Amino acid sequence: MAKRIHHSLEMIRSLLLFSICLLLFSCGTQSDEQTFDSSNLRRATPEEVDALVEAFILAEDSSTIRIPEGFYELKTQLILDNKTAIRIQGDGMDKTVLSFRNLKSGGEGVKIVGKDITIENLSIEDAPGDGIKAQHTDGITFRKINVTWTNGDKSKNGTYAIYPVQCKNVLIDECIASHSKDAGIYVGQSEDIVVKNSLAFGNVAGIEIENCDRAEVYGNTARDNAGGILVFNLPGLPKGDGRKTRIYDNDIIDNNHENFATSISDGPNGNTVTMIPPGSGIVLLAAKEVEIFNNRILRNKTYGVAIASYQVTGFPAEAPNWSPYTTDISLHDNEYDRGSWFSLPDLTRELGQLVSIYNAHGWLKTQDIIYDGIWDESLATSIDSNPMRICIQEPSIKDLRFTRFYLMEGEDNIDAFEDYATFQSCKPSPVGLGLSSLPVLHSTTR
Amino acid sequence: MAATSPNLSKWAIASLFLSLLWSCQPALKEEMQATVAEEILAPEEASGKFPYRRLSTYGFFEGELAGLTPSESIIPYQPASSLFTDYALKSRFAYLPEGEKAILAGEELNLPLGTILIKNFYYPADFRNPEGERRIIETRLMIHEASGWQAYPYLWNESQTDAVLKVVGSEVAVKYVDSQGEEQLINYLVPNKNQCKSCHNKNESLAPLGVQTRHLNHDITFEEGSENQLAHWMKLGKLEGFLGKVAHPSLVNYEDQSQALNDRAMAYLDINCSHCHRAEGPASTSGLFLTYGQKDPLKLGVFKTPVAAGKGSGKHTYDIVPGQADASILLHRMNSTEMGVAMPEIGRTSIHAEGVALIREWINQMK
Repeated sequence: MAKRIHHSLEMIRSLLLFSICLLLFSCGTQSDEQTFDSSNLRRATPEEVDALVEAFILAEDSSTIRIPEGFYELKTQLILDNKTAIRIQGDGMDKTVLSFRNLKSGGEGVKIVGKDITIENLSIEDAPGDGIKAQHTDGITFRKINVTWTNGDKSKNGTYAIYPVQCKNVLIDECIASHSKDAGIYVGQSEDIVVKNSLAFGNVAGIEIENCDRAEVYGNTARDNAGGILVFNLPGLPKGDGRKTRIYDNDIIDNNHENFATSISDGPNGNTVTMIPPGSGIVLLAAKEVEIFNNRILRNKTYGVAIASYQVTGFPAEAPNWSPYTTDISLHDNEYDRGSWFSLPDLTRELGQLVSIYNAHGWLKTQDIIYDGIWDESLATSIDSNPMRICIQEPSIKDLRFTRFYLMEGEDNIDAFEDYATFQSCKPSPVGLGLSSLPVLHSTTR
Repeated sequence: MAATSPNLSKWAIASLFLSLLWSCQPALKEEMQATVAEEILAPEEASGKFPYRRLSTYGFFEGELAGLTPSESIIPYQPASSLFTDYALKSRFAYLPEGEKAILAGEELNLPLGTILIKNFYYPADFRNPEGERRIIETRLMIHEASGWQAYPYLWNESQTDAVLKVVGSEVAVKYVDSQGEEQLINYLVPNKNQCKSCHNKNESLAPLGVQTRHLNHDITFEEGSENQLAHWMKLGKLEGFLGKVAHPSLVNYEDQSQALNDRAMAYLDINCSHCHRAEGPASTSGLFLTYGQKDPLKLGVFKTPVAAGKGSGKHTYDIVPGQADASILLHRMNSTEMGVAMPEIGRTSIHAEGVALIREWINQMK
């Protein structure tokens, strides 16, 4: 689909090149903001660093690994392997800093596998791959940890900052994730997740929930990323479609950072995140059962919320236990602000170009809500019956810019509609995971 | 290659300087040993309680330790295809406790409690003469304990008299002349103990890699002559259940050019990648499964988009584009030494040119 759109966009793109040059402010912003300066901290001695590595290796169940104030330059990974009830504790995210700038091998700085693990009060800097990864862990809490990269040149930064994958009962609380080349907080193929009161900035994607079941994302700030909060289901993974995500009480603001997942000259590659246009508030891609409410979705220059099917990527869209469509979405009671008049939608990514050129409200107009309008034709002959069950009940809908695209005939017949009535009449079925139902909040070890 | 990194040469010069300094001041050297090294190098009794601090305590080898001359109690073994670790050569042995035997059932090779797998990593001074002077860098033991397998890395000393247990890992600058006669300098990374499981990982339990049926089911040269390894183990009374080569799976040696290209490529991917890239391995998250028997093109990476590859994807869209090796992420990651791009994630700091050539040819002939 996207491939076909691509060709017609090619011509228009060249027409628009001129305006791009004029309107430099429409390009993505950049950020190298740091929460604090770690360079003044006491340098831990090589013996202290070795002792820390050893503490991870020799940790006994039900113990605490204390990491006192200091700047620890690690040349090897910190791996906690198959341990139970371990607390890894620093003296504060501005006091205990684990730097992986000199790491020579290994996919991540810190790796955790086990049961009931907590890591808190420290910072992780400059891991060449991922900052901290937890895998196959039931009960993993990240609390007050800051994971970042300090390179001025962000093309050298790592992939994910905080990365639980194939985990159960995940809690990410009061954390900061910044400057990652993919997602700052990325939860993948996991179950029963809470991401709350955290800050993600300067990343390509702020917070991403991918192929997960039952995630609560609330009280967070996702700002100055290319995309604020993403809910994706990708094909071909051991865990197929994930369902039930609630996103509420978040500040999703100014997500206009350039997409630095690839260099500007290269453009998107096979990583889906490389296609995210700067100026994206929330993006749903092949997502199932998502409720989005009470968020402040402000000043994201391309769109506030995008509801998209996997077909827009142009990649093969067939896989077992997975469907490319986004279904059962409830969007209600959010606050929107499209920002100032000179904040123009993105032109660097196809989805940005689609919005800029084909939206239902006029060229280069920022949108509040877009829906790609791709539906499963085996279920309905037209979209009028709202076959994908997309429910939009925003009190301010009359003042919002809504666009539903028509992309199902490819490049020659792209159309766009501002009529939202079809998507209002449905009754949003609550996603139905009350907070109290999430075991992650009730574990006694936290 | 890491050889040209200015940091490394600085490091090498510094360590050279340091060793000069030490050799000029024997008094200081002794003092250092007294405070740091003596505890480790103190004589150790073979108490039977593992791990020992010194490799020599196990008594695996006869004569000078560096000769790695096996005692009667250990059996040499060789997997058909070998995992690439910066061109290091390896000598491998298995110790099975007196009176115990391994049991072979189908593909599963179950090793008895108390089994110790011994893998020595070394570099000949000159690869054109691999039997000549050499430097042993590390010896990794895997011990089958009651609680499961445990890995213990031993780092050899400069004088090659012994190796000591070092759980936190290390870096060793290694100089050698390669098979083309070129001088090489490699910053060899000894993994920390827990990094061992980055590869030796089956459903989050440590597990042997090379000592599996499909890797051992072929002939090697023993003192008595050439023989199938599993048959040899049977003869020694160390194995039961081997029903002859064809009754069990086997892999080819990817270096054997007389074998079919597809078999060689799959053998290469199996031994180098599938320890992570399989359903039971840590890279199951990716959905890319590179075990020998994998038949599903999508799971092999054909027109498969990456998931968490980050900058590892380079400019590319799919893991494998048939006919276009240089547009394939798989090859891109094999052909890089950049952290975050290079695969495998641990075990190499240089590019395996021969492996890259093999996989390039394999992808290019795919339709």
